[in-house]
Amino acid sequence: MRARSASAPKFLNLSQVRFPVGAIASIGHRVSGVLLLVSLPLLALALDRSLRSKSEFDALRDLVSEPWRALLLVILVWAAAHHVLAGVRHLLMDIGVGSRLSQARTSAWAAILAAGIIALAAAVRWLS
Amino acid sequence: MRVSIYRFNPETDAKPRMQDYDVAPEAGDKKLLDVLMRLKTMDDSLSFRRSCREGVCGSDAMNINGRNGLACLTSLPGLKEPVVLRPLPGFPVIRDLIVDMTQFFAHYHSIKPYLINNEEPPERERLQSPAEREKLNGLYECILCACCSAFCPSFWWNPDKFIGPAGLLQAYRFISDSRDTATAARLAYLDDVYRLYRCRSIMNCTEVCPKGLSPSHAIERIRLALVRESS
Amino acid sequence: MRLFLGQRAWVLQRVTALMLLILLALGAATLLTGPSRSYESWHALATSTHGAVLIVVFFAALCLHGWIGVRDIVLDYIHAPTLRLPLLALIAVILFAIFIRVVLTMAAHFAGGA
Repeated sequence: MRARSASAPKFLNLSQVRFPVGAIASIGHRVSGVLLLVSLPLLALALDRSLRSKSEFDALRDLVSEPWRALLLVILVWAAAHHVLAGVRHLLMDIGVGSRLSQARTSAWAAILAAGIIALAAAVRWLS
Repeated sequence: MRVSIYRFNPETDAKPRMQDYDVAPEAGDKKLLDVLMRLKTMDDSLSFRRSCREGVCGSDAMNINGRNGLACLTSLPGLKEPVVLRPLPGFPVIRDLIVDMTQFFAHYHSIKPYLINNEEPPERERLQSPAEREKLNGLYECILCACCSAFCPSFWWNPDKFIGPAGLLQAYRFISDSRDTATAARLAYLDDVYRLYRCRSIMNCTEVCPKGLSPSHAIERIRLALVRESS
Repeated sequence: MRLFLGQRAWVLQRVTALMLLILLALGAATLLTGPSRSYESWHALATSTHGAVLIVVFFAALCLHGWIGVRDIVLDYIHAPTLRLPLLALIAVILFAIFIRVVLTMAAHFAGGA
């Protein structure tokens, strides 16, 4: 029995599984969390720089003048927006608000779309 | 109709493959299981579990077009072709669509799926008020088909340690039972980073439950009960 | 010893999430209603007692929240104990170092500003 299970194949090809919208919102929550965590040292650095002098503060405000930096910021804006919105959704569902399947589907769609729109707005503002 | 099925024979195959079948459903064929039974008469090497053919025994759970469900409850009209059938994701495959449920049932047993009450038994049965009985609705109907646990990413990553939605739904069924006196011990057992807290409220379980139950809701209630217990 | 907590980590993740939400809302409100977004007003805010304390609290909550989140990711995907424990230790050290760095930053500017 044990030997058979050890050598037995498993079907677990994620590209062949049809994920519900809640799963998309959830993996987005995880990916955005990792992005935010990776940028945490930069945030701590920015805090330090912003307090040093007026010129350093202004340099930070001009970060978006370089396209690749602006692009990174747009990605971080998406990450922050998605993580906060999906996080609020989870907090509410934890206490039983909107945790019925139909409501959870709607709020998952809402979080994904709203975060996308916020990121798009940032992209329009900084990249065009 | 065209059906594409995951085939694996441990005696002859080194790895699984997909096999296409063309089959003409006949007038009486209403559900996917009817087509599978027809295929079985064409190719008797095709292996799958089935018994009651009406969504009560939970034997014919499988991955149908990317989502878990029971073949006997999946209606033929509306099924996208080719119908792709694979075994339950994340479970060891014994043969074709038959998976090894040993671990799944080990988790079920671990939550002590029976009433625990060491008080002196009454002369007749232990009575419940209608309100107390009402609390078991949505919990006792589970048929242990494993559609939910086999669609849960957290269960895919930690199938040996996470109890999974099916087991946790059953755990809550006994936590909610007014006749059970082991609530505190049951909750203490679940307060574990793996057993309960691998759940990230993805709700894939509730999405695919063929009985329309909500394991995610049961998990939500267990977590709140644990918070109440410790405060 | 139980190395990985169940309920306590779950509750802490949510408590820190709430703290972060409140502080973010506070920050956004200050940004929108404040007199100007100049260096002078930011510096005055960040080096005031309540501003500095709130920034330190914000980063503390951020590091704790991030720790629980990344711990869950490691528990899900990385199973080899020889990889898992050093990785968790490394992440914990980095997060703690970031927090200390923020405390030092605030202390330096607070002293300078006061």
